[in-house]
Amino acid sequence: MGIEGILQEGFVTTTADKLINYMRTGSMWPVTFGLACCAIEMIHTGCSRYDLDRFGIIFRPSPRQADVMIVAGTLTNKMAAAMRKVYDQMAEPRWVVSMGSCANGGGYYHYSYSVVRGCDRIVPVDIYVPGCPPTSEALLYGLLQLQNKIRRTSTIAR
Amino acid sequence: MSAKLEQLSQNLQKHLGERIVGLQTALGEISIDVDAAVYQDVMLSLRDEPELRFEQLIDLCGVDYSAYADAHWQGKRFAVVLHLASIAHNWRLRVRCFAPDDDFPVAPSVVSVWNSANWFEREAFDLFGIVFQGHTDLRRLLTDYGFIGHPFRKDFPVSGYVEMRYDPEQKRIVYQPVSIEPREITPRVIREENYGNVENNG
Repeated sequence: MGIEGILQEGFVTTTADKLINYMRTGSMWPVTFGLACCAIEMIHTGCSRYDLDRFGIIFRPSPRQADVMIVAGTLTNKMAAAMRKVYDQMAEPRWVVSMGSCANGGGYYHYSYSVVRGCDRIVPVDIYVPGCPPTSEALLYGLLQLQNKIRRTSTIAR
Repeated sequence: MSAKLEQLSQNLQKHLGERIVGLQTALGEISIDVDAAVYQDVMLSLRDEPELRFEQLIDLCGVDYSAYADAHWQGKRFAVVLHLASIAHNWRLRVRCFAPDDDFPVAPSVVSVWNSANWFEREAFDLFGIVFQGHTDLRRLLTDYGFIGHPFRKDFPVSGYVEMRYDPEQKRIVYQPVSIEPREITPRVIREENYGNVENNG
């Protein structure tokens, strides 16, 4: 939204969709769901070097305040029910970022007896970030891709 | 064998005597075998005897010998292995106790001797199905609630029997029979003689 020229007039015009998406992409609050080593990389992304705060991405301790869930790590059978519960507690609209090989498809533990072969068997996933673990840049790129995906959705105009 | 190990070995012989079924010294470590019947007595002696004083339980685990030595193992199938350390004397010991019954392995619990054995025994029960007699809270520790089988037994398939998914109709997580072919990769083993300057015969 280029607003420099219009600001003198004292008002701006936009579409409701653009405004809604602007708000949504500007404050994607993820619920922390760190499960394994990917969580360390997720923490790096949130810390000062890569600094998720500058995108308005602020980690929330409660799913009820969150829009995005970053599944960071190996999802075991024992954890799956808890993760689904956390997902169900999130308010709509909600998105899921699957981070790392284990969350994407079981990864190293694909043939294991105790690991869910991809967290998309439990919750619908929007963005898959590959890597084992993905670098902080990769997760950041994934989150930016999620922003692009949100921008494409139109809530009012069909 | 160093003087320290010699001393420990002598002290063990002196205080346990007949109760030691087998004693091996390898790689600078002493391992003893004890019978399940005297296992708890031996553990108490190991802890309380001033010349042994193993105050600390480092580790307790189960072992399944059914595929050991290319399945040529003749002895009992399940064993409980403990690693003990003495802070007073600065020495360590490995103790092995075979469960008498292969179909229903039972071993005495040592929780009353070392409190730290509690979760180790729960783990061994969970993964190997070894029942620890005298354990006050023998529940599964690691696997899912309601898990069937003991995954570290050699006859347990790596991929298990069930897998998990979300059922949108029932709105809950459900188990279903495993849908993938089992796949095991056997690693190529390369053993060098005297690797790391360690002699194999101790």
